[in-house]
Amino acid sequence: MFSLDWRGLVLPLCYVVVLGGTFMTFSTIYRKRKAMESANLAPWFPPHLQRNVYLSLLHMEPEGGSEKTPKVPDSVIRAALLRRAVEDIHRIIQIRTAKAACGSLLQRGSVGDDLWQRFQRAEKEMEEELRDVVMEANALAPNWGQIIFQSANEIAANTTLRERLDEIQANTEAEKEWWEKRRASIKTKELEEDGEKVTSGDEPVIVENNTPSATPAGTPSAGSKKKKGKK
Amino acid sequence: MSAEYAYDEDGHLWPFFVFTLALIVTVPLTFSLANRSRDPAAAFKRIQTSFKHDQSDLVDTLRKKEKRKDRKLWLLILVLAGWATMGQMLYLIKTTEAPENKLWNPYDILNIPESATEKQIKSTYKKLSLRYHPDKAKPDPAKNLTIEAISAHYVEISKAYQALTDAEIRENYIRYGHPDGKQGYSINIALPKIIVSDGNGKYIVLLYSALFGVLLPYLVGSWWYGTLRRSKEGVLMESANRLFREYKDNIDEGGVITALSTGKEFEDLLKGDKADAGLAKLESKILAEGELSPFAGGLSVKDKEKLQDLESGPQRKALALLWAYLGRVELDDPALTKAKFEVAPIAEALNKSFTAISLAYMNTAPLLASYYTSQLLIQALPPKSSPLLQLPYFTSKIVKAVEGDSRVHTTVQSFMDRPDSKRRSLAVGKGLLTEDQYKEAVSVAKQLPYLRVAKAFFKVTGEKYIIPSSLVTLVVKGRFVPPGNEKVPQVNEIDLEDVDPAEDDLDAILGRKAKKQVGKDEKGKPIMESTSDEPIFPPLAAAPYLARDHSPRWHVFLTDSKQGRVAVPPFTFAQFDRPIFEADGKTPTFAMQTLKAQFQAPPQAGHYTFVMHVVCDSYVGFDTKMEVTLIVEEASKAEEMSSEEEISEPEEDSIAGIMNAAKGGAPPNPKKRKEVKREEEDEDDDSDEESGTDESEDDTSDTDTDTEDES
Repeated sequence: MFSLDWRGLVLPLCYVVVLGGTFMTFSTIYRKRKAMESANLAPWFPPHLQRNVYLSLLHMEPEGGSEKTPKVPDSVIRAALLRRAVEDIHRIIQIRTAKAACGSLLQRGSVGDDLWQRFQRAEKEMEEELRDVVMEANALAPNWGQIIFQSANEIAANTTLRERLDEIQANTEAEKEWWEKRRASIKTKELEEDGEKVTSGDEPVIVENNTPSATPAGTPSAGSKKKKGKK
Repeated sequence: MSAEYAYDEDGHLWPFFVFTLALIVTVPLTFSLANRSRDPAAAFKRIQTSFKHDQSDLVDTLRKKEKRKDRKLWLLILVLAGWATMGQMLYLIKTTEAPENKLWNPYDILNIPESATEKQIKSTYKKLSLRYHPDKAKPDPAKNLTIEAISAHYVEISKAYQALTDAEIRENYIRYGHPDGKQGYSINIALPKIIVSDGNGKYIVLLYSALFGVLLPYLVGSWWYGTLRRSKEGVLMESANRLFREYKDNIDEGGVITALSTGKEFEDLLKGDKADAGLAKLESKILAEGELSPFAGGLSVKDKEKLQDLESGPQRKALALLWAYLGRVELDDPALTKAKFEVAPIAEALNKSFTAISLAYMNTAPLLASYYTSQLLIQALPPKSSPLLQLPYFTSKIVKAVEGDSRVHTTVQSFMDRPDSKRRSLAVGKGLLTEDQYKEAVSVAKQLPYLRVAKAFFKVTGEKYIIPSSLVTLVVKGRFVPPGNEKVPQVNEIDLEDVDPAEDDLDAILGRKAKKQVGKDEKGKPIMESTSDEPIFPPLAAAPYLARDHSPRWHVFLTDSKQGRVAVPPFTFAQFDRPIFEADGKTPTFAMQTLKAQFQAPPQAGHYTFVMHVVCDSYVGFDTKMEVTLIVEEASKAEEMSSEEEISEPEEDSIAGIMNAAKGGAPPNPKKRKEVKREEEDEDDDSDEESGTDESEDDTSDTDTDTEDES
C-alpha cells in the first residue's frame, strides 16, 4: 500500500482551491451585476398616461364620505379606451420603424447592447398591451376589439396632420407682418426711384410694379380668405 | 561527454539577450512617439488668413490642449528607459571579457609554423620533451610551477605531437578539433545566476504572478471594456443610446442640436457645480433679442420651449452653451466663454453618431439635418442663418446691410459673383467693414473649396448598358471653384469622360495611378509626368470658432425624392486625386476631380430618378442637389447587343455572303448596315486603341443621364 504524503499534497490542493474559488466568485459577482443592470434598465417609453386614466376610471374608489362608488358613464370609459389605443398606435409605429434601424446599428456597434435589451422589453410590453386593449374592448362591446385599432389609427393620423397644419398656421401672423413691412419698403423705394426719374434695368422691380397701384386694400382680405380656406 | 546546462555565471551572455529584447520593444515605440509628436495638422494646408476674433487666443489654446492630450508621457518615459537599458547593456558587453575559448591547435603548442614538415615536427618535439619532461623540469615555486602543471604541459606537448604524426589521433583532430575525440559542450542560458540563487526565488515567483495574474488581465480587461464603452463613431455608448432615443423622423437642425445636448460627454465636462453655474445669466443672454433672429442664440421658438422644458442640470447648460456658441453670443464671463468653446467639438463628435443613426433609418430629412448641423457646428452659425457669416469680420449687422430684409439668404457664391464695386458698396462703410477687413474677407472667400459639379452619370465598367442587379458606378465630375473667381476656364470635354482602363492595364484596374507620358528625352526614354502618388487633401476648414482642426469631407448620396428615403447611402470623400490649389495655396487649379461611388442596380429594369446630394460637412451653402436618372435595361437587351455584334452578318460580296444567298437568305439590309457602320465610325473616334472587335466601348455616351449642370 502507498503511504500518502499528505503534507506534500497541501500545496497543490491549495492551488486548486484558490483557482476554483476565484472563478466561482468572479462568475457570481459578474452574473449578479448583469442581473442588476438589466433590472435597472430605464423603460423605453414614459409612463402610459392614457392607460392609467382608463384603469383609474374603471376602478373608481368610493369618495370620502359616501359609501357608493361613483358611476362612470359607459361612453367615458369607451373614450378612455380609445385614447389608450391611440397612444398605443403611436408607440407601435415608433417600435416598428425603430426595429430595423436599432438592429443594424447594434450589429455595426454604433449603439450599445443595453439599448437593444430595452427595446426588446418594450416590444414585449407593447404586445401585452395590445392584447389587453383588445380584450377590454371586447368586454365593453362585442367585437369592438377587431376594429378599435383601425379607428385609433385614423385618429392618430388625423392628429398628426392637424398638428402640422397648426404649426404652419402659427406662422401666418409673422409672415403677414413681414410681408407688410417688405411691401412698404418696396413702395418707398419705388416712389423714390420714380421721383428721381431713374430708370434702372433691374428686373425684380418690374415684378412688384403692379402691387402698390393695384388694390392696396384688397390684399389683406385675400389673405384672410386664404386662411378661411385652409380651415 | 554529456551536455550541461548552466546559468550565465560570469555575465557575458545575458546582456546580449536583454539588449535584443530592449531593441525589439524600444524601436517601434520610438517610431510611434516620433509620429505622435509630429503635428498631424501640419501636413495639411490651411486657408491663409490673418483674421482674429476676440476669443481667437482662447480657441487656439483649446486646440493646443487637445493636441497635447494626444501625447502620452508614459510612452516618452518608456522609450527613454528602453534606450537607457540598451546603452547599459552595450557598456556591459564591452567591459565584460568573454571567457577564453581557444581552439586546440597542435602547431601553437609545439610553437612551429603550420607549414612545418614531419622532420621539423619530430625535431621540435624532441627538443621540447628534453626541456619539459617531468623528469627533467624542476618545479619552481617562485614561478608558480608545480609538478602537476609541468606534467600537464608535457601531456599537451605529446598530444600535439601525436595529433600531427599518429594517423588515428590525427583523424580525431580533424573530425572533432581535438585529439581525444568528441568534446563535451555546455549550453549557457542567457539569464544571470542571481535570479535562481537561493532566496531570490520567491521574488521571481512574485514578479511572475504580478505579470500574468494582475497586469495581463488588467490590460485585456481595460481594452475590452474600453471597446464596449465607446461606439463605433467614438462617442460614449450611453450617448449613442440616448441619441437613438432622441431621433425623430421630422427632426430639423434645431432638433438635432437639442438631441446632441443629451450626450454623456457633457455630463463629464460640466461636473459638480459647473452644471448650474451661471445658467440663468447664460439663458438671459441667448434669449435676448437678436439682430437677425428673434433670439440672440439663433434658436427658434420651438427650440426655446425645448430648452426651457429641460430640468436644470448639465444637459440644459450644455444646450444653452451650444446655442451661445452657434449664435456667437458674448458671455462676459471667462469660465462660461471657455465652456462655450469646449462644448462645440464634443457636439461635433456626437453628431457623427447621430448621422450614423439617421442613416440607419434611411430617411432623407434627418440625414440632411444631421449634415447641416455639422456645418453649423463647425462654422458657429445658428440654423437658418446667412451663410455670409462664415466670412471673416462678417457680423449680423453687415449681413443685414448686404441682404436687406430679403427672406432668402445670400450665399457666399452669389455674394462673390456680384461685381466688386457692388459688393463693396454694400459691405464697406461706416459701422460696417473697413477697407482692409473687406479685402481680407474677399481673399478668404476666394480660397474656400466649393466643389462645383460639372456632370454626374452612371456606368458599369466595361459594359454599354446597365442591366438589373449589376454593380453600377456613380461617377461625379466636378471642379473646385472657389467663389468669386473671375477667370474660370471652360470645362474640357475630355475631362468629363470616364474611360475604362484597358483590360491589360493592371495599374489602373487596381487603383494605382498611371503616369502620363509627357515626352521623350534624347535617348528615347519616356519622361513621365511628375505626379505624386499621395492623395491630395483639401485645406483645413476655415473655422475660426471651432476649437479643433477639421479637414473637410464631402458626402455623396442618392435619395428618392418621392418617398423621402435614402436610396444609396453616402460615400465620403476626404481626399482627391488631383491638386486643388497651386503650390502657393491660393490659386485654384480648376482641375477636374472624379468622385466614384459603387452600388448595386435595382433588380428591375426601368428609369429611376434620384436626387443626388453632394454635401460638404464644413461649409454652409456649398451643397449641390441635382436630379440624376439611372436607366436600367433588360438583361436580354445587353445579350442581344453582344450577340449581334459578335457574329456580324456576312458581307454581300464575301464567300459567306454568297453561301448565304445560295441558302436563300436575303442580302443584308443595306440601310441597317449603313447605320452600324456610322456607329462604328463614331466609336472609332473616341476609343482608338481598344480591342479590335466591334464591341469597343463608348462607355459614357450611352449611359449618360444628361445632367450637365454647371451651377
